[in-house]
Amino acid sequence: MSARILRRIATEWSGGLLLAALLVGGSALASEPPPVRLDSTADHSKYKELQQEFASGPELTKVCLSCHTEAAKQVHRTKHWTWDFLNPENQQRLGKKNVINNFCISVPSNYAFCTSCHVGYGWKDASFDFTAEENVDCLVCHDTTGSYRKLPGLAGHPPYKDVEIPPGSGKIAKAVDLSRVAQKVGKTSRDTCGACHFFGGGGDGVKHGDMDSSLASPDKEVDVHMDATGLDFTCGTCHKTASHDVPGSRYTPVGKDKGGAHMRGKEDKSNPATCQACHGLSPHKDSGMAAKLNHHTDKIACQTCHIPAIARGGVATKMSWDWSTAGRLTPDGKPMIKKDDKGRVIYDSKKGDFTLGENVVPEYAWFNGKVSYTLLGDKIENIEGVTHINKLGGSATDGESLIWPMKVFRGAQPFDAVNKTLVTPHTAGNDDTAYWKNFGWEKAIETGMKVAGADFSGKVGFIKTDMSWPITHMVAPKEKALGCSECHTRGGRLDAIDGVYIPGRDANRLVNLIGWIVAGGTLAAVALHGLIRIVRRPR
Amino acid sequence: MIKRLPIACAITVGLFSLSSLALAYDADWKRGRVYYRSVCTACHAAQAGGSIAPSTMTKAQWASYLQADKHAKGKDSMKQYVSKAYRASIRSQNKAAEKFAEVADDELFEDVKAFVIKGAKDGEAPATCS
Repeated sequence: MSARILRRIATEWSGGLLLAALLVGGSALASEPPPVRLDSTADHSKYKELQQEFASGPELTKVCLSCHTEAAKQVHRTKHWTWDFLNPENQQRLGKKNVINNFCISVPSNYAFCTSCHVGYGWKDASFDFTAEENVDCLVCHDTTGSYRKLPGLAGHPPYKDVEIPPGSGKIAKAVDLSRVAQKVGKTSRDTCGACHFFGGGGDGVKHGDMDSSLASPDKEVDVHMDATGLDFTCGTCHKTASHDVPGSRYTPVGKDKGGAHMRGKEDKSNPATCQACHGLSPHKDSGMAAKLNHHTDKIACQTCHIPAIARGGVATKMSWDWSTAGRLTPDGKPMIKKDDKGRVIYDSKKGDFTLGENVVPEYAWFNGKVSYTLLGDKIENIEGVTHINKLGGSATDGESLIWPMKVFRGAQPFDAVNKTLVTPHTAGNDDTAYWKNFGWEKAIETGMKVAGADFSGKVGFIKTDMSWPITHMVAPKEKALGCSECHTRGGRLDAIDGVYIPGRDANRLVNLIGWIVAGGTLAAVALHGLIRIVRRPR
Repeated sequence: MIKRLPIACAITVGLFSLSSLALAYDADWKRGRVYYRSVCTACHAAQAGGSIAPSTMTKAQWASYLQADKHAKGKDSMKQYVSKAYRASIRSQNKAAEKFAEVADDELFEDVKAFVIKGAKDGEAPATCS
């Protein structure tokens, strides 16, 4: 019976089955183009070289470089790799490994922790080999899975096995599947750049104020350009990168872009990440106020009106950090943490007191793009005053400056009270001298200064410092840009700006009196003239 | 003729497999994130008494929830809220629905699923609603 049925199927239905299969398959294969990746010409999951287990990042990088032969050499030339930069303007040796800030302070002696944001593997001390191509970390910028992460303390490596971080916390960070991540590499994204830049200073939104995790998938209110349902810019849309070298620098920013919009086909070596590089020098076009608004652009940075507040995405940014109060312990000698009513940390025994803010009105200053730093070894002239970690150049009269919005981050940090220099403390680590382990400044600073090759007298004090961060991200919709009255009034946003006449703010009593007399006199004369004409009209 | 049966069956199975391979879809968790936040979270926050973060459930719980396809305690279907018809109904007020108006239902559902699984309590990157 069954043989008969099979025979009938074979003779009568086999053609039908084949036809059905062809129709189903054909509908997928012929009537529509088959699914295809449109964002790349290569599907890395098809490369046999990547279809294997990788024991470490460098092992994987070697495979990447077998095709992308020049990539590591290109990366080696960038600040993302060297963390070292010689400012041609003033010959200051900058870069992450050299500067000091008033957040986590500095890199030397804390390498294994800080370098979780280095585009390399294995920078655990000063002996790191910057020439080794396999030390370049391709995945940290090219991951598309969102599963790749480098953890503090692992010297730039991701976890290769499940690991408890911090030790003793009970929190397990799972091992990264290098093969899976490698097979899905793609272009950089807000997520990849943001993995470090959103979390600078030790946490979400801590450092910049205009960059935090809300920019990973923002709406238009948070950023008109990165709006995930609109223009959906990635970081690379503005920071247009060639040869792995990302333009746009905190060390040599552009204060006033006089070049205008970049054009295709025209060689332009100026920074492509300025507003003017796309919008030109007369950006306002479609309102009755366009001409008047365009007149503002020779004095005011676009960001001043179009970024009305700092930390607009729902993530608070740190506004101050007082290291001098660090080290307070509970009665039983344990470090403690205090939080505000929103659950945000405002005191940590390891770090001191913080203040945080959301939707903070920026401070404003003339800025010409020139920045000079107070570096390790620089004498601090006035230990009673505020030391500017970075000093921004600019004035109303230099022709190079615009009025910029700033996040000014204030704090108190340790310094060498005898040599009167900033110091680089050894904070992170599980050793005897790490401040976060033993809460002793002298030992921590002695270790850090030794690694940095700097003198330390052994006497620690605390000085007030500040750092200025020009604000440029989180551009609001134009409807939310500042109105005239925000600045053109006494006590307005630009109250502290000197060197420029701002109508409404700078009212002069004598000029006002003359104006009123002229206007009143004109009105009176016209009225009188009219009255005379009426009285003397022919009857 | 019976000798040709295995060949016919093999070709048939092969073609069905090929068609399903051609239709294999690699879910886009980022697109799922945008849709989840702009549509699911936005609606829940405004009309359903609060948003539901992916990190409020485990991967297994999300998988089970999505498999059951019951929304609002079974009053309606989950999938209907990622359907083209639903997107068409809200696209004038919702930019994500507008942007993804033409995405196939199954693909967008897989995108959202990939995001919530990834953002689950025990997922690769636990995601809150902020």
